[in-house]
Amino acid sequence: MTLRTDHIAGLIFVAFGLLVFALSGDLPFGTLSFPGAGMMPKLAAGSLIFFALLLILRANESEPIATVPWGDLPHATRVVAITAAAIALYQTLGFLITMPLLLFALTFGTERRNPLVAAAFSIGAVALTYLLFAVALKTPLERGVFGFWLWVR
Amino acid sequence: MGTVESLLLGFSVALQPDVLLYAFLGCLIGTLVGVLPGIGPLSGISILLPVTFGLDTTKSVVMLAGIYYGSQYGGSTTAILMRLPGEAASVMTCIDGHAMAQKGRAGAALCIAAVGSWVAGTFGVIMLTLIAPPLAAFALRFGPPEYTALLVLGLIFLAYMSSTSLPRTLLMACLGLLLGTVGIDNMTGHFRYSFDIAELGDGIGIVPVAIGLFGLGEILSTPSAKVVGKVIAPKLRQLLPSRREWRQAAMPIARGSVLGFLIGLTPGSAHIISSFLSYGVERRLSKHPEEFGKGAVAGVAGPESANNAASTGAFVPMLALGLPTGPITAVLIAALMIHGVPPGPTLVNEHPNIFWGFVASMYVGNLMLLALNLPLVSIFVNVLRIPYAYLYPLVIMFCIIGVYEVSHSIIDVWIMLIMGVVGYGLRKFGLDPAPLVLGLVIAPTFEMSLRQSLIMSNGNWTIFFQRPIAAVLLAVCAMLLGLAALSLIRRRRDWRSRLAEAEAGENR
Repeated sequence: MTLRTDHIAGLIFVAFGLLVFALSGDLPFGTLSFPGAGMMPKLAAGSLIFFALLLILRANESEPIATVPWGDLPHATRVVAITAAAIALYQTLGFLITMPLLLFALTFGTERRNPLVAAAFSIGAVALTYLLFAVALKTPLERGVFGFWLWVR
Repeated sequence: MGTVESLLLGFSVALQPDVLLYAFLGCLIGTLVGVLPGIGPLSGISILLPVTFGLDTTKSVVMLAGIYYGSQYGGSTTAILMRLPGEAASVMTCIDGHAMAQKGRAGAALCIAAVGSWVAGTFGVIMLTLIAPPLAAFALRFGPPEYTALLVLGLIFLAYMSSTSLPRTLLMACLGLLLGTVGIDNMTGHFRYSFDIAELGDGIGIVPVAIGLFGLGEILSTPSAKVVGKVIAPKLRQLLPSRREWRQAAMPIARGSVLGFLIGLTPGSAHIISSFLSYGVERRLSKHPEEFGKGAVAGVAGPESANNAASTGAFVPMLALGLPTGPITAVLIAALMIHGVPPGPTLVNEHPNIFWGFVASMYVGNLMLLALNLPLVSIFVNVLRIPYAYLYPLVIMFCIIGVYEVSHSIIDVWIMLIMGVVGYGLRKFGLDPAPLVLGLVIAPTFEMSLRQSLIMSNGNWTIFFQRPIAAVLLAVCAMLLGLAALSLIRRRRDWRSRLAEAEAGENR
């Protein structure tokens, strides 16, 4: 049997549906005349499992898993890792430090652009964004523990 | 108050200088969002949502809606000049629009697309003016059972209209419904799946999910090396089409406007589906179908008109029923709710300034877009020269700011990142994320109306069949499911499978 995309997707969703049931133990289903907090999640999880099983049953209509192109995975992984690091640092370092680092890491680290151009782009883009949001639109951006936004005030 | 008086009230709001300014800003940003590949109207609206917090409701919704219909205009520029769809609804315009550009008729193609978009957009707003108020008045008769049936119909219709299969769409919708149950249960106060994270008590927001799935997910699936293209820059004097080209465009624009508006009323990615269907209709009706793919004027005029009319049509169920027909209208509903204005049947009567101001602003906005798109095309062409390697980091930065600024919650930003990865995975497995967002949006209303209906009937499920409106809506659901099952049994290739093939062929 050829393993197809819908086999894998269906199995993932069945597992997810079962996990939801396992996590819903303390949520009461209630009665039909007074449904409880667990009714909707359990109905949705049951339907999810049902449609996932249908997907597995009709998997022959999908592409074989071996034909799915994964050439973009290394690029995507790098982007996710850099973005995750930026999110982790955002509240500590604030907008004015985190965002130039994020832009520089993506343009130089991931895209291999000239480091000077990447640095100028990162600082310039963040400065313009800061002026637009914090000064023109009066939307306070995260200042982090160093409180950099006070400089403009 | 009659329609004319109400519309005059709307114009008195929409023509105020500050409202005009925000309509212009929305149209300008929407055009840029449409022009730039990799940034769709959904990410544009979601990212700019926090910017509208300081504005009043009318200005906010006028600007956000301007981004939506402005992006439909802008998408054609990239499609015609680079053969890259700036956003998904412009896929069909790539084929004949770029072929016209290669023949030296880029200016004419852009002009026909802009005029067609304006005609269709204005037609859509006229229909919205006429249809939405009576529909809203009718919807005032709806109670919980009717709303439950209407939301079920919305999901079934979405699945039926989808170019992917029925189980795949409903699977995604169920996942959305499931995510929509996270947080405090409004009726009993139970915490559901919040894992002691206080922020999850309020549930999973639409904005982080939408930006993650569509904004970040798109970036992860698009390595910068793949985004290359040669821009054909038209000169200003080449913008006017010939008399023959105008004649060839007239009927496709008219047909595209009507077809697009009707499809826009239904749930699903109406603006995308309408452009595919319009292209098919024009090719079938053409006396020279062999010209399609080689620069047929009708191949630009029809789809461009259809996608604009559809994006306006989608506002009818959103404003009159409070029913999102897709992720974009879902985010617009979220924007209204953030400002404390619930969309739906009561909007017309309780907030006439907002409703009619919004409708009137669309008449003005469509004119602005026509004036904006043609003379400034050379400026938009220059935007296309920004390398994607610099563009997508900026989009990621705006995604983070956009999500964080909604409620200053870093958990929301993490949810966005997770949803970005989920969106990347869904694309790999050929699953459409749009029904997931729709499921997430309707989950609270659906759950509340279902439980209220059961409480009203003391647990008797037949309440949905005893009330005439709910019974009719459920009968339509059954009919659609029957039709879908019939085509499954007969294994017949209907218009949806042909649409899926066309989409797949164009994406390759």
